[in-house]
Formats: sequence, C-alpha cells, structure tokens
Amino acid sequence: MAASRGGFAGKVLRVDLSTGKIGVQDTIERYEAVLGGAGLGYRVLWDEVPAGTGPFDAANKLVFAAGALVGTSVPCNGRTTITTIFPTCWPRPLVGSGHMGGHFAAKLKYAGYDALIVEGKADRPVWLMIRDAKVEIRDAGHLWGSGIRRTTLELSQEMGPDCVVAAIGQAGESQAPMGMVINSVSHSAGGVGGVMGAKNLKAVAVQGSGAVRIAGDKAEWEKLVKFHLSILGANNQHVVPSFPTPQAEYYNPASRWVGQPGRRWGAAKPPVELTGDIHDLSRIVYRTNSAAFFLGEEAWKYTVRGNGCTACPIRCHTMLRVPSVTVKYGIPDMAQNTCIALQFGRMFFKGLMAGKGGEAAIEACMVGMHLADDMGVWSNYGQLQRDLRKLYEGGYLKARLGSKEYASIPWDKYDRNDPAFLLDLVPRIANRQGELGDVLSRGTGAIFDTWSIPESDWADDHSTTYWKMGHPKHHANEDDGQCGVIINTQYNRDAQCHSHTNFVRNGLPLAVQKKLATDIWGSPDALDAPGDYTPANPYKARRAKWSLMRKELHDALGVCNWMGPWVASPRWERGYAGDDSLESKFLSLATGRPMDREELDRAGERIFTLHRALTIRDMGQVDMRAGHDTVPPWVFEDAKGAAPFTKGTIRMDRADIGRAMDFFYEAMGWDTATGAPGKARYAALGLADVGEGLAAAGLVPQDGK
Amino acid sequence: MIRDVPSEWIERAAQASGLEAELSRRGFLKLSVCALSGLALLGLGDAFGANAPLVILDNAKGVILADPTRCVGCQRCELACTEFNDGRAQPSLSRIKIARAVNFGPGGPTGGDAMHGDWGDGLIVQGVCRQCPHPVPCATACPQNAIKDDPQTGARVVDPAACVGCRLCQRACPWDMLSFDEQAGVATKCFLCHGRPKCVEACPAAALRYVPWRDLTRDGGMLRSGLSAPSPENAKACLDCHVPAGKTAVK
Repeated sequence: MAASRGGFAGKVLRVDLSTGKIGVQDTIERYEAVLGGAGLGYRVLWDEVPAGTGPFDAANKLVFAAGALVGTSVPCNGRTTITTIFPTCWPRPLVGSGHMGGHFAAKLKYAGYDALIVEGKADRPVWLMIRDAKVEIRDAGHLWGSGIRRTTLELSQEMGPDCVVAAIGQAGESQAPMGMVINSVSHSAGGVGGVMGAKNLKAVAVQGSGAVRIAGDKAEWEKLVKFHLSILGANNQHVVPSFPTPQAEYYNPASRWVGQPGRRWGAAKPPVELTGDIHDLSRIVYRTNSAAFFLGEEAWKYTVRGNGCTACPIRCHTMLRVPSVTVKYGIPDMAQNTCIALQFGRMFFKGLMAGKGGEAAIEACMVGMHLADDMGVWSNYGQLQRDLRKLYEGGYLKARLGSKEYASIPWDKYDRNDPAFLLDLVPRIANRQGELGDVLSRGTGAIFDTWSIPESDWADDHSTTYWKMGHPKHHANEDDGQCGVIINTQYNRDAQCHSHTNFVRNGLPLAVQKKLATDIWGSPDALDAPGDYTPANPYKARRAKWSLMRKELHDALGVCNWMGPWVASPRWERGYAGDDSLESKFLSLATGRPMDREELDRAGERIFTLHRALTIRDMGQVDMRAGHDTVPPWVFEDAKGAAPFTKGTIRMDRADIGRAMDFFYEAMGWDTATGAPGKARYAALGLADVGEGLAAAGLVPQDGK
Repeated sequence: MIRDVPSEWIERAAQASGLEAELSRRGFLKLSVCALSGLALLGLGDAFGANAPLVILDNAKGVILADPTRCVGCQRCELACTEFNDGRAQPSLSRIKIARAVNFGPGGPTGGDAMHGDWGDGLIVQGVCRQCPHPVPCATACPQNAIKDDPQTGARVVDPAACVGCRLCQRACPWDMLSFDEQAGVATKCFLCHGRPKCVEACPAAALRYVPWRDLTRDGGMLRSGLSAPSPENAKACLDCHVPAGKTAVK
C-alpha cells in the first residue's frame, strides 16, 4: 500500500504561478517507476512539456526533486536535482538538470514533499512559502534586485531561522542562462536560475517539521548506516590518504584525503588540530579539505571548518576566513565552497592557477565566491573562465567588442592578476551589462552565435576543455580513457557523472583496482590507469553503462554522485572492497519494499533512457551517434604528437572510440548505427508509452530494434 | 527514583544524622544531592510512605558535552537520535538540536557581526540537554509528574504513559530542549540513550562527548527565560523547602 511506504514523503507539490493554483499529487502512485529526483523531472518533462518549448517560456516546467533517501542519515544524501529545459544547451535547448546540495532537499522532505513542480509564470516577482502543508505565493517586490545573501536573510526573518531558502540573484532575475539558484550560502545549481527568473520566482523558502519514515527494522537500518560509514573515504570516495602514514597500507599524492594528523583548521577559534587515527569514524570530517586540495597547503590556515549537505560527514564545502579581503575588496571575510565553485575567481587568471599567485590566488577565490554565490552566476564547470581567457588572450574581444566597451573593462587589473578585476566583470555578467556581459551570461554557445566564431575554434583547442553543445568535458579521457569519453557524449550539458572517476581516481594501486573490477564488471580489463590506456573492450563499455546508471540512480534517490558509488573502501581487511548493492539495501529498508541491485539498476537505466528519449524527441532526430554523441577533435590529438595507447598521453584513437561506442550501444541494447533505443528496448524498461510516442514521430531506429 | 519521598522523612533522616540543629528545609537545598541519593538507597522513602511529591531529582550520572568549534552542522546527531530510537528521520523531534542553529546561530537572522552559523562566523552552537540539577525546570513544570529520572543514567526522561501532551515542559526549559512528538502526542527529551548516546556515536567530527555530569546550567546564558508553572501539588512541595517570606522556617 502506497501510504505505508517509508523513505518517500509521499506527495509532490505543484505550483502554477500563472493561475496561483497549488496542489499535491501522490508520489508513489504517479512516479514510483522513476523513483524521484531526475527520474521524476524527466517524466514531468516527457508528459507535460511539449517538444520545442523554450527554457524561458511559461510552458517550461522547473522540477525541484529530492529522492527517497533524502532527509535520512544515509551518508551523502541531501541532493536536489532541478530538471528543466536547460538554457545553456546549444544550439538548441534540451533537457538537463542542475544539482544542488545544502539543506533544501531534506527540508522539502520534512515539509512533506518529494518534489516541487513549478509551472507557468507569475505576473510580478513572487517567492514561494512552504511551511509543511501551508503553501503560499507571496509578493517579492521588495526582494527583486537583491543578492542571494540579503534575500535569504530577509526571508529567514519572515519564515524563521531554520528555514531553507533557495534563491536567485541578479543573474537569475535578468534571465541569464548562466544564472544559478543557491541554497544554504553556497550550494548552487547552474543553469536554472534564469528559468526561475523567467517565472518571476525570486525564491523558494521551505520550513518542514515532519518525518521521513524508515519502514524497515530500525536496528538493521542503524547497522547498515554504520557499515556505509565504515566504507567511506574522503571527498570523491578517495579511499587512501594523500600522505604516507603507518595507519594506511597505501597512499596517493593525488588523493583528496588530505587531512594529515598535524594539520589544523587554523581559522577556527581556537584552531582545531587534526589528531588521532585517520580511519576513526568520529573524525571523518577531518579527512577532506577542498581548499587545501585545490589551493594548496596555505589554505589550512584560513580554514574555519568543513561544511556541506544535510547528513553528509564528508564536508567538502570548506569554510574559509580570509580577513584581508574585507579591507582590500570590501567583501565578507567568510566564504565556503568546493571544487570549481571554490575556484570561481582565480580560474579567470592564468597567472593564479597551478599553484601560482600565492595569497592573491586565495583572495581571488574569495572575491569570486562572494560575487558568484551572491549574484548567482554559474561557471559552467569553469568554461566561463576558460572562455574569457581565450576570448581575451586570443584577441577575439579586441576585434569584436566596440572600442568604447573594450576600453571600459579594466584589463590592466586582469593583466596584473588583480582579483579586483572580478568586481567589474562578474556584475557585468549578472546584470547582462554591455555586449561582453550579455554574451558571457548566455553561455559558450552565445560566443559562437554572436561573434561568428566557429565552434571548432574551441573544440580543436584542448586548453578550452570544450566538449560539445556549449559545454566542457567533465571527467573524460584525462581520467578514464574510453569510459570517460563515452560518458561525456551522453548528456546535453557537461556530464555530471562521477561514478567512473570516483573509482579510477580512488588512490588504490592499479592491481587492487583491477581485482575489484573483476568482481564488479567481470574483467580486470574494465579499466586502465589514467594516461596509460589500452584499446576499447566490452568491459569498459559495461563499466561506462554502470557509471551512467548509477549516476542517474543517485540523482533519483538524492544521494551524492560526487561521492558514490561506494564499490571501493579504505578497509584492507575487506581487500578494499566497498559494496555494489548499497543503494538497493538502503532503499529496500527505507521503503519497506525489497528491491535488489538488478532491479534498482534497471530503474536507473529506465531513467537514463527517458533522458535519451527526451533528447531524441526535442532534437527531432533519431541519429544520436552522428548528431549528438560527438567527441571534440582535441581528444584525438596530443601536443607532443604522442600516439594513442602510449604511456603518458590521454590521446584517444578515433577508430577505437568508434568501437567503444559500438560496445556501449550494445551494452545498452540500442541500435549501434544511430545510438538510439528501439521500441522493444523502451518497452523492456517499462517505457512502452515513450517508445510508441517516438515511433509515431518516426524517432526510433528503422529496424525497430 | 526518589520522587515519592515525603518531605517529612528528610527531617527525620536529618535528625538521625545529627544535622537537625542546622537544618531548615530551606537549608536542606544546600546539602549535596548525593546525600539524598544515599537516603534513597537506604530505602528510607519506603519506610516513611508517600504524600506530597518531592520535586527534587537525583543528579544525572552523565551529560552530553558539545564543542561548537568542532561542529560542522551535518545534523547526523539529530538523525541518529530519531532514526535509531524512533525509526524516522525527523530533526524537529531530535533531542539534540542543531537545525535551529545551522543558518544563523541561536540569535537568529539578526545580521551583524554577532551572528553565528553558516551565514555568520561559522560557529554552530549545538543545543544539548543539561540534565539540570534541582530544580529541574521541565520536571517541575509537569503537572503530571511525567518527567522522572532514569534509574540507570539519572537522565530526566518523559514517561510517555504519564504525559498528557500539555507542552508546559516545552515552555519551561530555558534552553528550549524539549521536543514534542506530534505523532504520539507526547513530549520527549534527551534520555541519554540509556547510557550510550546515539548522537555522540554518530558525530563525525568528535564534537560531542558523553562525560560525567556536571552542572552546565550556569555556563553561558539561557536561550530564553523558561516559563515554569508548577502544579499546585508540586508548588506545595516546593514550599516545604522554599519558605514564604516572613514565615518561620520549619525546624
């Protein structure tokens, strides 16, 4: 019986901003087959948003979805997937999701909702108040024009201190495709801020006092949670430390497990020394320091603590206090973030990357975080920064921008690696001011369109790391050879998949990884060491498929694909094995409905296939292989001319990638000529209606496979 | 465990111990509560029978100590509290309180330099039950005497069978540490998980410790002034020791 199911909150909230109508639907009844999160989002788009709908049309829908494991103590849950017609996808908008951590997802569940579907467009700026069963559309006139910080403060004053606010800044308001929505200071979802802005929706504030019920035995649940904690590594599930220590058999300098005993959170008052056993489960948070990993040793002294999402012990959002920036740049001395967003500021400057720039690099990070996380400007995984560098250094801007506008930009500061440059640049983007600000606010595709720059200028140039469709690579051949390439061909934005890289970069020696790989994917040949590649084989394709299925599953369950899956562990007594069935064990206990790994992976495949179907429908073409699953030329080149499959190069071989795609399509049960699923494949995954819909439009392969 | 001991036997016990010359009921409050505990162990309560309830609870044996400088705001403690004890994830039910302090700290969204939490200086001030010494505000306020001390840990615990859900205990706690289980219709509070607090075990930052009890009620400020309205019966018992002004202390 649906009502007795645990894990799910049970209801989906629908808000039509055009009519003001607010309603709820039963989650299980309507969306059980797609679980939640991205799956629910894709299903809503398939059912309700017609092909050809633009991202900023009132007919586009914005689906904020948590998952069945969100709000529980399953480590690394807390993810919200926001699915919509994605505005930075070029040359035409297609389905995509932005993902944010923080506390929004859990709060939405406690309020009683698995998802929030926003429809229509308000006739004036509004914000959405959700307090358990009470939901209201309120006037946001007083907030329009404000940054995310102030918006959050004022809405929290109105709602109460423990509400969670997801808000847009000036970029979202101005319907910039590069706008973000942000909750809990720094947890952002790129690309969807402008969609909110187009709906006149300044913010969603949620207060929830309810429960997520665990249907299974609570002692079993506790045991499983503790087991999961015992197989956690550090950020990105790196399972060996980056430093040699008698406490661990292996170490790997590239590991994000940087919390070496003796280091300290220097800006805590008083500082917190890292002591004790690095494997101690009561000290997991000290393993990860994103700032120290990305910015270097000096970041420890600015570290206040780790921060992160609800229930996550990893705390990859490192909180920094850098007092000098207040005086120098007039910004708060506190900021926090992880990975690329942590480096939003410094990545604009070539002179501040790769360990260069010292204090200025950290200051640039602080200025960047302040501006991006307040005005709500997305980096598109660093493509914004690489774009500006190439545009400036390549002379494109001087040639194309009007001389008056060009002269108004403080390039002298840029040339000096002065972080103050960002105080001029980022507001231009957020406010879409001038031609440069406007073009950058629309994403990489707008550069090609507006300035008649051929896409190949980017796609041929490895330094841009540009992949396709207006977006960069995201853990491709530099990490994982053919497997990374396959994964990067599949999405309409940068591939947000980490399943594969979290394994190959986990820090374990290759021999140990290959042993684990044999157990999971059937052959030690399922992976190579990064930069030491062998030709394609079916096992790599099988691992690519597994990676994509798990990525979609994680986005559907609300757990973090930046950490999962957890198939390796720091535990030598387990031979460093993790648990490939962890997700299904958790879901079974949470819901009270047993579901094994195979069944859950099939749900992941169903969700991923729905994404494929939406892409095919909205592109209006069936040939994905030639028309969508493309690989940029730089992947097949090497700066020093090294041949593919020689040690030290990430260069791939074109014919070999062709074979890799064949293996992948076969693993998916898709037509190898077009890379599209046939009617039978849709039906086998419980998507018969989708297959029939596409067949009627002539969008399934000819042989009907 | 010594709730139903009448005030009368306190005097008798004091006489037997040779303290009677010094002892007034007011003065008795200054005695170590350990003495009370000792008396209880002697079974004197049983010997004297029961009339008015005694509102003095034995001190707890342990208390959860929270270090804000280590807290990372993950709320795993809140989730362990409710999932492992109640089978549901529900921070609003948790007997350790983090969610309310995560964003802005105990002072709320005031703005300014004094603001804590993720939007302030980063400090997360955890809310933990102090397992108060006498007078225990929540227990004193309970008209049903439903808040008792746990025989094993001395934790002040809500007896769900006796609780009628009036929420007066919630109003009484100066640190706002009582929770209300809307599903069961009763109040709930930290019961130290029978001596193995789940929250302490769940903390991934070693920010929580379970330590021998000490009086934390005088450390720092209160979150608010508790509204304690003892029942007439309890109030009468209070007057056994707290003599109204102008009256003569009982000898």
